Amino acid sequence: MTVLDGLIYIKENLDPTLSVRYSCRMAICGSCGMRVNGMEVLACNTQIVELEKKVITVEPMKNYPLIKDIVVDMSEFFVKQKNLKTWLIRKDVVEQENPTRQYAQTEEELEKILQFTYCIQCGLCYSACPVVSNLPQFLGPQALMKLYRYLADNRDEGEDRLAAVDKFEGVWRCHFAGSCSTVCPKGVDPALAIQLLRRAALK
Amino acid sequence: MRERNVMLLHYATGLAILLFGGIHIWTLFFTYPFQGTIWETTMRFDSMPYAILPVYRNTLLALSLLGLLVSTTIHAFNGLRIILAELIGKRNIWIERGLFAIGAFLVIYGTRTILIAHMLV
Repeated sequence: MTVLDGLIYIKENLDPTLSVRYSCRMAICGSCGMRVNGMEVLACNTQIVELEKKVITVEPMKNYPLIKDIVVDMSEFFVKQKNLKTWLIRKDVVEQENPTRQYAQTEEELEKILQFTYCIQCGLCYSACPVVSNLPQFLGPQALMKLYRYLADNRDEGEDRLAAVDKFEGVWRCHFAGSCSTVCPKGVDPALAIQLLRRAALK
Repeated sequence: MRERNVMLLHYATGLAILLFGGIHIWTLFFTYPFQGTIWETTMRFDSMPYAILPVYRNTLLALSLLGLLVSTTIHAFNGLRIILAELIGKRNIWIERGLFAIGAFLVIYGTRTILIAHMLV
């Protein structure tokens, strides 16, 4: 039984007013992020028995405005990501509109970005980040990692990507606490991406 | 100044502190035996405005002290700028200007002291 199953049981049998955000129940959609016993996890991916505790404390994620119970407002998290244009930018507009071929990528080129493509945008890293707690303007590990993912992508032709993070609240504010990488349920290492982004910014 | 250059300066001054701080400690521990006569000579104020160890009475070591002063000030005040921003929760341009002014004053006053103590002016 997962923590999410427990919460659904509470909602169905004990307290119907309980608000929980969830969807896929298989750690793919990233909707059920929360803090369980002080640790950021996906509720659907956390077995109650593995917690080895009689009392389980469930809290909303930190660094987000609370909507209700354990549901938080993730608007800012997505806005920060959107502002960095975290999508593939190409100059061949005609080809984009009428595709005639695939964009080639070697295995080595894919290796550079592969782990970062696993991000499901659950926002757990943003919640665990101590810098976001202190400095809410900080872009956060997910947005920076996502930016690096497109910066390192050989198919991307976006310009001035680094200028967007080369500011006070950008890539330089990371203290390398590494909590973002610790809590990521998909094994992504945003702390590594931020360091690689820094290296790219210094070149 | 772009944040990239500020942080590049921060890293460079961090390394410079290691270099100049190393020279400083090395000169103190390995070239200056803590003996009474040298201490007496050092503390004799009658011919100079500041007491200074004999080993420091040369231009190269005066420059290393200057390097230590400048790099420590830049590194420390930039660190303080970041700490204060995170403590307050946002960037405050007036705090940053204030810190810059204090840092600049420390560098100017410290440079003056080093130059006078080494009798370079």
